[in-house]
Amino acid sequence: MVTLAIAKQTLEDMLRRKILLILLIVAVAMIALGPSVGFLSPRESSAVLRSLGLAVILLAGLLITVLTGIQVIPTEIERRTIYTVLSKPVQRYEFVLGKFLGGLFTVFVMLASMGIVFLGVLRYQEGRFSPDMVMGVIMTFFQMMLLGALAIFFSTFATPVVNFFMSFGLFIVGNLSSVTESLLENKNVATRAVATLVHYAIPNFGNFNIQNKLIHPQVVIKNLNMFIMQNVAYAIIYSAVLLILAIIVFDRREV
Amino acid sequence: MAAAVSIQGLTKTYLDVWTKTEIRAVDRLNLEVEEGEVFGFLGRNGAGKTTTIKMLLGLIFPTEGTATVLGKPIGDIGVKGQISYLPEEAYFYEGMTGWDMLDFYARLFRISEPERSKRIQKALEDVYLDPSAWRRPLRGYSKGMRQRTGIAQALINDPKLLILDEPTSGLDPIAHAELRDIIANVGRQGKTVFLSSHQLPDVELTCSRVAIIHQGKLRTVGKTAELTSGDTVEIVYKGGDAALLEKIRKVVGAGEQSNGLGRVPGVAPKDTNPIVDLIRGAGAEIVSVAPHKRTLEEVFVDTVMKETGS
Repeated sequence: MVTLAIAKQTLEDMLRRKILLILLIVAVAMIALGPSVGFLSPRESSAVLRSLGLAVILLAGLLITVLTGIQVIPTEIERRTIYTVLSKPVQRYEFVLGKFLGGLFTVFVMLASMGIVFLGVLRYQEGRFSPDMVMGVIMTFFQMMLLGALAIFFSTFATPVVNFFMSFGLFIVGNLSSVTESLLENKNVATRAVATLVHYAIPNFGNFNIQNKLIHPQVVIKNLNMFIMQNVAYAIIYSAVLLILAIIVFDRREV
Repeated sequence: MAAAVSIQGLTKTYLDVWTKTEIRAVDRLNLEVEEGEVFGFLGRNGAGKTTTIKMLLGLIFPTEGTATVLGKPIGDIGVKGQISYLPEEAYFYEGMTGWDMLDFYARLFRISEPERSKRIQKALEDVYLDPSAWRRPLRGYSKGMRQRTGIAQALINDPKLLILDEPTSGLDPIAHAELRDIIANVGRQGKTVFLSSHQLPDVELTCSRVAIIHQGKLRTVGKTAELTSGDTVEIVYKGGDAALLEKIRKVVGAGEQSNGLGRVPGVAPKDTNPIVDLIRGAGAEIVSVAPHKRTLEEVFVDTVMKETGS
C-alpha cells in the first residue's frame, strides 16, 4: 500500500511536468506526420514509417526515462518533501521502490500513448494491424525499465547532472554490445579484459534493439519468443539487482 | 510520567571537506521530554535544533549517543506511526489539492477507507482551513493555508508526539496567532508537542517547559514559569520625598520618583523588608510589591550571551 501510494504520487507528479508532456507531444506529432515521409515505393514507405515510428518512440522514451529517473528522488530532497515522507512509517526500501515504480508507470503511460498513435497510423496507412510493432514497443519499454533502474541507482548518490551523463553514457556503451562482444576474442589481453568487463558489467541495452529484425524480414531470429523472453527476464533481473543496490546505498544515506 | 523523548549524549559531527575540520552540530546533548507536555526547543539559527530533530526522526544518524522516542530507539518504524513532523518551510506537492495531499500522507500511515476520509475531514477542520480550498491545488494556497495544511498532515494519524520545526515562521500576525492557538489546542488534547521555534512569545505562551541549545550544547532547561520568574521584586509607593529616595538608593542602588509615585526595581529578597520599612517609616504608602517577571526573550538572550561571553 505504501509503495503504491508513493508510486501513484510520483506518477501524478511526473505527468504534471511540462518537459515530459512537450516531449510526448513532439514525439506523437512526429509519428503522426510519419506517412508524409513515405514518398518511396509502398514497401520502402512501410519500412521507413515503421523505422521512424520505433526510432521516435525509442528516442522520446530514452529522454523521458532519463529525465524521470534522475529527478524522482533528488526532487524530493530538494523540495524537502522527503522529510514528511520518511518521518512517517515508511521503510526506505518502500520509498525507493515507490519512486522506481512511479517513474516506470510514467514511462509506461508515455510509451503506451506513443505506441497507440504509432499503431493507429500504421493501421491507417497499411489497412491492417501490426502486432510485430507492438513487440517493438514492448521491448523498448523493458529497455527503458532497465535504464530507469540504472538512473534510480545513480540518483541515490549522484547529482542529477552527473546522473544524466552517467545514465546516457552507459546507455550508449550498453548499446554497443555487438562491438564489445567481438572484442572478447581480441588477441590483446588488456583489450579483452576491458571488453569483458564492459560487456558483462554494463547493462546490455543493445539486445533490446529488435527494430532491424522487425522491419526487415530478411533478418531472421531462430526463436523470436525465446529471444524476447530472455531479454525481458534479463531486464527484470538486472533492474532488481540495481534496485537492491540503490536500496542499500539509500538506506545509509542521510537526507 | 514516562519520557516521550529521551536523549543521552547525542552528538552529530560533520567534516568540513575544505578545512578538514570537524564541526559539532550537536554536542553530547542530554534531554528528557515528558509525555503530554508542550516542550519548547530554542536556539539561534545553526544552534543544532533541526539536526537534533532529524536525528530523532531517523533522517540522519548520530555520530555518538542514543535516544528513544516513545520508549523505542530512534528510527523505529512502529513508533513512526505514532509521531508526526512538520519540517521548517516544508514544500508540499504543489499540484496536489489539500485533500489529496492528506490522502497521500494518510496512506503512508496505512489508514484505510472510510476511516481515511473521516480523518482528513477532521484534520482540515481542526486547522480551520476553509472548505472551499480543500479541493484546490496547493500552488494556489497562501503561506498561512500551507502551514495549516502542514499541521493537518501532522495530525492525520492522531499522533502521540508532534514535532514542529518553526511552524509559525513567516506568517502574518493573524495567521500566526491562529496557528499558535491550534498548537496550544493540540497540547490541551494531551498530546506531546516538541516545538522548535524562534518565536519566543509563542513559546512562552504555549510551552510548559523549554530548553535552550547553543552551539550544539544544551545550556538551559526548565519550566517556563520558573525560568521567567525573576528573583527580585519591584516596589511601588505613593508619597515620600527626596530624602526617602536617597535612603532607598543607598540600599539597593536604584529607584525613581515622579508625580508622587516612587518605583524601586530589582529589589533582592534580603532587601525587601528593609525597603518596605524605610518607606513606611517615612510616612509613605506601599502601592505594590510585585515579583519581577522576565520575558523568555530576556532569559534566552541572557543565556546565549553568557555562553558567548558578550
